[in-house]
Amino acid sequence: MLDTSVARSVIDHALFLGADFAELFIERNQVNNISTLSSEVQAVQSGIDFGIGVRVIYGTKVLYGYTNRTDNDELCRIITELSAKDLKDPVTTGASFDFSVPDDIHHAEKTLTEGSEVESKVEFLRRADRTARAASNMISQTRGGCLQREQSVEIFTSEGLHASDIRNYIRASLSAIATNGSEQATGSFNDGGLIGWEIQEAIDSDRTGSEAARQALVNLSAKACPSGRMPVVIGPGFGGVIFHEACGHLLETTSVAKKASVFHDKMGEMIANPVVNAVDDGTMAKEWGSINIDDEGMPTQHTQLIKEGQLTSFLADRVGSQQTGYTRTGSGRRQSYKFAPASRMRNTFIEPGDSALDDMIDSIDRGIYASHMGGGSVQPGTGEFNFAVTEGYYVEDGKVQYPVKAATLISTGPAVLKEISMVGADFALACGMCGSVSGAVPTTVGQPSIKVDDILVGGNA
Amino acid sequence: MEAAERVLGWIAEAGATGDLMIAEGSSLSLKARDGELEEHKVSSSQVFGVRVIKDDKAGVAYSEAADNAALRLMVDQALVNASYARSDANEKIPNTNITLSTDDAVLAPTDNVSVEEKIDAVLRLERELGARDKVKNVPYNGVSDVTAAQRIFSTAGLEATSRIRACFSQAAALVEDGDKNVMEGWGQSARRFDELDIDSIVDTAHANCLALLHGEAVPSGHYDVIFDAQCQPTMFSTFSMMFSGKAAKDGINPMRDKVGEIIADKRLHLFDSPLMDDGFGYALFDDEGSPTARTSLISGGSLETFIHNSATAAHFGLRTTGNGARSPRSTLAVQLHQLEIGAGDADDAAVTAGEYLELTDLTGTHSGANAVAGDFSFGASGFLCRDGERVEPVRNITVAGNFYEMLNKISLIGKTRRWDMDRHAFMPSIRFSDIAISG
Repeated sequence: MLDTSVARSVIDHALFLGADFAELFIERNQVNNISTLSSEVQAVQSGIDFGIGVRVIYGTKVLYGYTNRTDNDELCRIITELSAKDLKDPVTTGASFDFSVPDDIHHAEKTLTEGSEVESKVEFLRRADRTARAASNMISQTRGGCLQREQSVEIFTSEGLHASDIRNYIRASLSAIATNGSEQATGSFNDGGLIGWEIQEAIDSDRTGSEAARQALVNLSAKACPSGRMPVVIGPGFGGVIFHEACGHLLETTSVAKKASVFHDKMGEMIANPVVNAVDDGTMAKEWGSINIDDEGMPTQHTQLIKEGQLTSFLADRVGSQQTGYTRTGSGRRQSYKFAPASRMRNTFIEPGDSALDDMIDSIDRGIYASHMGGGSVQPGTGEFNFAVTEGYYVEDGKVQYPVKAATLISTGPAVLKEISMVGADFALACGMCGSVSGAVPTTVGQPSIKVDDILVGGNA
Repeated sequence: MEAAERVLGWIAEAGATGDLMIAEGSSLSLKARDGELEEHKVSSSQVFGVRVIKDDKAGVAYSEAADNAALRLMVDQALVNASYARSDANEKIPNTNITLSTDDAVLAPTDNVSVEEKIDAVLRLERELGARDKVKNVPYNGVSDVTAAQRIFSTAGLEATSRIRACFSQAAALVEDGDKNVMEGWGQSARRFDELDIDSIVDTAHANCLALLHGEAVPSGHYDVIFDAQCQPTMFSTFSMMFSGKAAKDGINPMRDKVGEIIADKRLHLFDSPLMDDGFGYALFDDEGSPTARTSLISGGSLETFIHNSATAAHFGLRTTGNGARSPRSTLAVQLHQLEIGAGDADDAAVTAGEYLELTDLTGTHSGANAVAGDFSFGASGFLCRDGERVEPVRNITVAGNFYEMLNKISLIGKTRRWDMDRHAFMPSIRFSDIAISG
């Protein structure tokens, strides 16, 4: 996307001004987004983003700028402006570019370049709408969406790296509203991956519609949730957001380097119950949070974060590695050329154990079964996190009693990791978007069902 | 301008109407770490977004490339997108043949602060907060200076130009004392960089940390609650869909059949007030070029109207309220400019009489709320107060309920109104009763 001679010239200019490292990140992002309301197409939106991010590093100081232009003069002007306060004699010379294209383990067939397939996507969403409405006459409205994008990236560095990659993302969703008199409740279902529209063969419009409707109807009949400290069983798939928030963010060198993570000095220590094994893996074929190379051009990896309760690795990008001394893990990610990369999660999950869900429920005298979770957030410095229950049930005497609504779970990362006492075998993954210092990036969360012995449940009863 | 003429010409040639939005921005942001500049970021960007309407169907497309071929492709793509959309005779390009522009002296004032002085400001912010008692470090800090310009051209002849400048500074410190720790912060927004008060941010961030450091949960129960000047606007904006004419048109707004009905305490008067020029939501016209006005949303507890753009207003047989919203990448929507709640009749002493919880921090507002049902459950911290005095810091609790029911749990509304930190809401303190707290 950028002429190699221009890249050479711009990087040489940065090094001439005394930079220790220089990088160009070129991105072209093609987007197609379809939204439906009931059975009708509400909007089709499309567009192309294009820009170049320029990163120059002096010591540990990061200078970053971006532009929509590709000419040598503009790129050099940005570097000159950024470096104005740090000029020094050249300390290194640029290495020759060694072009590489990574092995593509996420090959896509029906890409946006091949065609946007609007009719087929609309029909998928209409089928999901019909299925949802067929579930009950209390389903009063549905909203569907299908977002596809094709992100092409090219990276040049002063160390001679020249890499490129194409990432095809797709995600389809339906949300349903159930209404009974003045009462309303919602349910939703979505699926996606690092793949083209051929994902339609793997995801089922009927399942999308029926799951959204089922959850809306469950929530319509839900009662106020009890509150206080109690045991909670968290279901598989998106339940893994608990690990993402409670631990994952605290293992990114973005917070570790600043000592803004409660785990920054805990490498090698037991930070979780021994039943907990956790992984961040960018290599899983066609998963939503996967990548071939990270946004610094490094091949991605499978990273064992916790092994039998012991902290075994952080997630490190270039600057984080430089600041902490921990080895890079292919985790440097960014939303777009408008952001400098930072250490970020990819597909992050608790590995399967051997407990049965029924045994977890049986072990509870009074607690909650949170079968589906929403999003959450964390304050890395203290480890305090929260996340929302989107479908939950009150459990008493080892039996599921009734659905509950509007609950949030809060705790701290160090506390909750030690409260995970049972890990199931019903492993599943789910798509999400993670927001942090380098913007919003696709991440997968996952886990089997787990039991947390003690956590604060914020209910309205 | 030349690009706009070309784009509008292509739209007309296709037998369509439409508008073109050009958004341009430049920014500087700085962060400090351990006494050194950690990040220095500059940017300039431009994006074109077109909306076309043909045969009563609307389509949008955008491009960050400004060359002729890219703009032509953008228009063609918008026309294709429109062909798939449902027919909506209410969405039309307003017949507005005027030229509008904002006043830079008000919205984008200049100052003489150099980049060096801005770097000094962020270094001082981190250094001085980092030197305060019990502060371990200041991991999150920064200053920024952003200027954004937007131009809208329509086939009807509208030419609207707006430019805003926003300067911001914030810092969050990690404070430790034995086995206790807390991370709290503070920030400020201003139109001019020289209006930012670094000393005040340092003082307030540090005071916020120390005040909450030894906080503990209170027993679960139902409490009287006052959300502070930051949290109360957050509560209202989280559930702002209740005022959306678009959500009402789409059958999603839970208040869609309640215009004219009492939905809140009769002492509650709530407005969208775009004409208050000391707020950051100040606007004389919206993204369709329609004039803005102070709109009464709730009066005496009664839902008066929703906010509308030209299309949602036409759907309901009304006139636009000047709340049309669009970005180069999005379809036509609605948005509030700035929320104003009318002053109540209670003295501050009356509002804070007896025991209550003052909540100063809410977490999980993006995930723990359901605007369709009104249900919410958030993490929270703040203070147990008695007769206006903070008697005990409170942390690790949740606050839960139903926002729409909470509007009828107002026990007192104060006389004194104040802006929130972002200057998008101007409200008095409201005391809510019987709110569920888990601790």
